[in-house]
Amino acid sequence: MASDKELSDFLKSVDKRAFKRALYAVRDEDAALDIVQDTMIRLSEKYADRPPAELPLLFQRILTNATMDWFRRQKVRNAVVRNFSDFESPGSDAEFDILETLEALGGSLATESSADTASRAQILLSIEAEVARLPGRQREAFLLRYWEELDVAETAAAMGCSEGSVKTHCSRAVHALSTALKAKGISL
Amino acid sequence: MNQFNRPLSGFAPSAPTAPPSAALDAMQTRFALRIAAGLTERSLDLGADVNERLRFAREKALERARARRSAEATTPLGATLGGAALLGRFSSGWGMKLASVLPAFALIAGLLLIQRWQDNAQIAVAAEVDAALLSDDLPPNAYSDAGFAEFLKTPSE
Repeated sequence: MASDKELSDFLKSVDKRAFKRALYAVRDEDAALDIVQDTMIRLSEKYADRPPAELPLLFQRILTNATMDWFRRQKVRNAVVRNFSDFESPGSDAEFDILETLEALGGSLATESSADTASRAQILLSIEAEVARLPGRQREAFLLRYWEELDVAETAAAMGCSEGSVKTHCSRAVHALSTALKAKGISL
Repeated sequence: MNQFNRPLSGFAPSAPTAPPSAALDAMQTRFALRIAAGLTERSLDLGADVNERLRFAREKALERARARRSAEATTPLGATLGGAALLGRFSSGWGMKLASVLPAFALIAGLLLIQRWQDNAQIAVAAEVDAALLSDDLPPNAYSDAGFAEFLKTPSE
């Protein structure tokens, strides 16, 4: 059973990344914060008695479900659901405009010409923009696998899909990011 | 030169000579981890408002966890299935399932018993009324009743 301190440390270790993950998906800061809070509460209420080692996977699974719930609620309310189909259908390449937000934060990405002239902050901004631009399932697989550092089986469990799908999504995401960043003159 | 400016040689979708699968996987992983490092760096700069909301969310979640633990601690041990499991009475999964079905069985059996008892009570009351009617004296004006006269004319079986 995870103690208070273990649970607190775990939540501290994942909250920022969880917020970003939710934000990439829903593109609304308040909604993303609500989703993260909902996820933390669900974890604490239902799984606080689990060993600390089980918490990361449970948390990611709950976060994925909470994000899906948010999309479902939006659909029910007939609100604007620009990327719901993107989130639901694997491999879809629906476009959306994250650039508006990022431009407000740090200037136009379109003006970046190469990694030599861009500042580190701009490069990070570009990376984030391209990650946000990925199709939902690809982004989900990529972030769980490489950012949350889950293995393929855990990522598949968190996403509710096969391990083969995870590998495919990750591979496509990496290629898409590589191509997009290269086009902006950023090589990693 | 920062880590994002170091070229990842050989990894490109249109590389003229494709590297072996394992090497490609390794390069892919390295590239992905650099991207992840960039995302981590970006995520550290969320702003005071967001950090405050996240802190509030964490505290709320911890409160719920504490409330749940204290609720579990105050529940009588034998009153829950979990308590029963701790006592070793229903330690297996089947035992737990059986334990959850037992109250339903007890309820059904109780209802059947009540129904049977009510049927018996009704039969007993009807028998008492019949016995009282049959053993009572026949009033004289009964013979003036056409229906009774007809009954008397009918041969008994």
